[in-house]
Amino acid sequence: MTQHMLEVTGAVKTFGKVTALSGVDLSVPPGRIAALLGPNGAGKTTLVRIVATLVRPDAGVIRVDGYDVVADPYAVRARIGLTGQYAGLDEALSGRANLMLIGRLAGLGRGTARGRAAGLIDRFDLAAAAGRPVGTYSGGMRRRADLAASLMARPSLLVLDEPTTGLDPAGRLQLWESLAGLRDEGTAMLLTTQYLEEAERLADLVHILDQGQMVASGTPAQLRARTGTQLVEARFEPASQAVAAARALAGRLGLPPGGVHADPAAGRLTLAAGGGVGTLLQVAQALAADGFAVADLGLRGPTLDEAFLALTGQHAVGRASS
Amino acid sequence: MISVAGAPAPAAAAPPPGPVSRPGPRRTARQAGLICGRQLAILRANPSRLLYPLIQPVVLLVLFLAIFAGLARVPGATYRQYLVPGIIVQNVALTAPTVGLGLVLDSVSGITDRFRSLPIARSAVLLGRMLAESLIFFVQALLVLGVASLLGFRVRTGLPGMAGIVAVAVAFGVALGITMCWLALRIRDPDTAGRALFLPMVPLTFISSTFTPIDRLAGWLQPLARANPVTAAVDLIRTLADGGPLGHEPLYLAVWLVILSVPTGLLAVRRWQAG
Repeated sequence: MTQHMLEVTGAVKTFGKVTALSGVDLSVPPGRIAALLGPNGAGKTTLVRIVATLVRPDAGVIRVDGYDVVADPYAVRARIGLTGQYAGLDEALSGRANLMLIGRLAGLGRGTARGRAAGLIDRFDLAAAAGRPVGTYSGGMRRRADLAASLMARPSLLVLDEPTTGLDPAGRLQLWESLAGLRDEGTAMLLTTQYLEEAERLADLVHILDQGQMVASGTPAQLRARTGTQLVEARFEPASQAVAAARALAGRLGLPPGGVHADPAAGRLTLAAGGGVGTLLQVAQALAADGFAVADLGLRGPTLDEAFLALTGQHAVGRASS
Repeated sequence: MISVAGAPAPAAAAPPPGPVSRPGPRRTARQAGLICGRQLAILRANPSRLLYPLIQPVVLLVLFLAIFAGLARVPGATYRQYLVPGIIVQNVALTAPTVGLGLVLDSVSGITDRFRSLPIARSAVLLGRMLAESLIFFVQALLVLGVASLLGFRVRTGLPGMAGIVAVAVAFGVALGITMCWLALRIRDPDTAGRALFLPMVPLTFISSTFTPIDRLAGWLQPLARANPVTAAVDLIRTLADGGPLGHEPLYLAVWLVILSVPTGLLAVRRWQAG
C-alpha cells in the first residue's frame, strides 16, 4: 500500500451550534493535488486549519505522512507548509528577511536558510523586491512571497487556503504554473478554492464540500460526467436577450420556468439536451421562430460548474476567469 | 471515494524528515531569540516606532514633576526624590500593554497562523517578544535615571543601586507584559484591546504609592493601594535609591512577579496555540 501524504478519516468539527465538518474523508497521495471546492461556509477552511494543526478536530483521524495531527503536531508541522487566506508574512520586514525568519524558525541553519531564500526569491520572480518591506508588495507578489515562505522547509504537503483569491488573471495564471511545477517535483497539495477553473486546472482529485459534508469526490472529468446529460447552449447578441429567449423557449418546449437556465451577464442560456441533436434542432427552430439573434448555438458536455450545481443545489461562488 | 488512475506518483520532493517532538529548552531559547531578532529588525526598519517609547518616560517625568512639585510635600525627602521611582514604574505600566497589543495585531494578519503551523515551541513567540520588550524597558529605565539625575534625582547607593533599579523596572515590565499578553489574547479584537489594556493602568498607577504616600490617599483607597503590585515595585525602587534596609521588599515584589507572570504566562501560551 502506498502511503498517502494526507489521510483524513471521519473529520468532525463543530463551533458551538455550527457544524463546520460532519464526517469528511479524503486522501492525497505524494505528488498529487486535491482541491476542496465549495461555497463560503462549506467547511473548507476548517479542514485546512485542522490539517495545519491550527484547529483540533472533535472527532476523526487526520494523518500527515503517517503522523496524527492531534498526537504528533510537531511532526506534522515539520512536514507541512501553510499558505493561508491572509499572507503569513511580516509586513514591516523585507521579503528576504521573512523567508530567513521562517526558514530558521523551522530549524534551518543560517547558511542553508540564506541559500534556500535566494533560490525561492529567484524562482518566484521576487529578486527586485526581496529587500523591500512586504507591506509595499502588490497582491500577486505577496502571494508568491507567502508561497515561497511556505516552501522554505521543503514541506512534503503544502496546504493552501484560497491561494489565488484577489489576484488578477495574470497573477492567478502565474501562481497556477508555480503550483503545477511544485506538484511535478513531488509536493502533495491540499488546496481550497471557490474557482472551478482552478480546481479543474490543478487538481487530480476534486472534493466538493457543502455544509460540512463531502457531496462528491472524483477527477474533474468524473465529476463532469456525474450530471450525465449533454446540454444545449445558445449565446445571444446583445446579451440582454438571453433572459427573454429563455422564457420564450421554456414556453415553446413546454418546460418549467427553471428548465432553461439564463446567464444574462454572459448572454447565454443552457438547457438539458435529453434528446441530443433532436433537442438542439428543436431549440434552433424555436429561437428562429421567435426571431432571436442567436450568435452561437451548440451541443456540449456539462461544465464542472453545472456538476457542482447538480450536486449541491447551488452555483459555485465565483469563476476564475471573471 | 473514487481513486485516481494514471501515472504513478513521483517521489516526494525531499526525503521525509524524522519525527519532530516538542522542542526542548535549547531549541525554545533559539526560537525565542529568532523572534526577538524579528522584533528588533522591525524597529531597525522603522526607527520611528522607537520614538514614542523613548519620549513617553521623559514626558511623564517632566510633566508630573512640574505639576506636583509645587503642591506635594512628602516627609523626609524632596518630592522629586520621591516621585522619580514612581515615574519609572508608571512608565513601565504604560508600556507593558504594547506587547499584548502587538501580539493581537499579529494574529489579525496571517503571521500568527504561520508561526503556529511551524514546528516551534508554543512559548517561543511570547518569550521572544518579551525578550525584545525587556530591552525597551531597559533603555527606558536608563533614560529616566539619566534625565532624572540631570533634574537633581540622586541614587545614593551608587552603581549597584542603579543596577537594582533597572532590574526591578525590567522584571516588573516583563511580568506585567505577560499578563497583558494573556488579556490581549482573550480580548482578540485589536481596537478593544487597545483601550482595555491601557485604561486599567491609570488607576493601577494612581492608586498606589507612585505619587503620594499611601496614608495621604482617601481612606477607602488605602487598602487597594497597599495591595497594589505597583506599590511593591515603587517602594523597592525608592529603597534602592535612598539606601537603607531592603527588608521583605524584594521578596514581596518577587511574589507579585510570579503571580503576574507564571499563571498568566501558561494561560497565554495555551491560548496562543489554540488560536
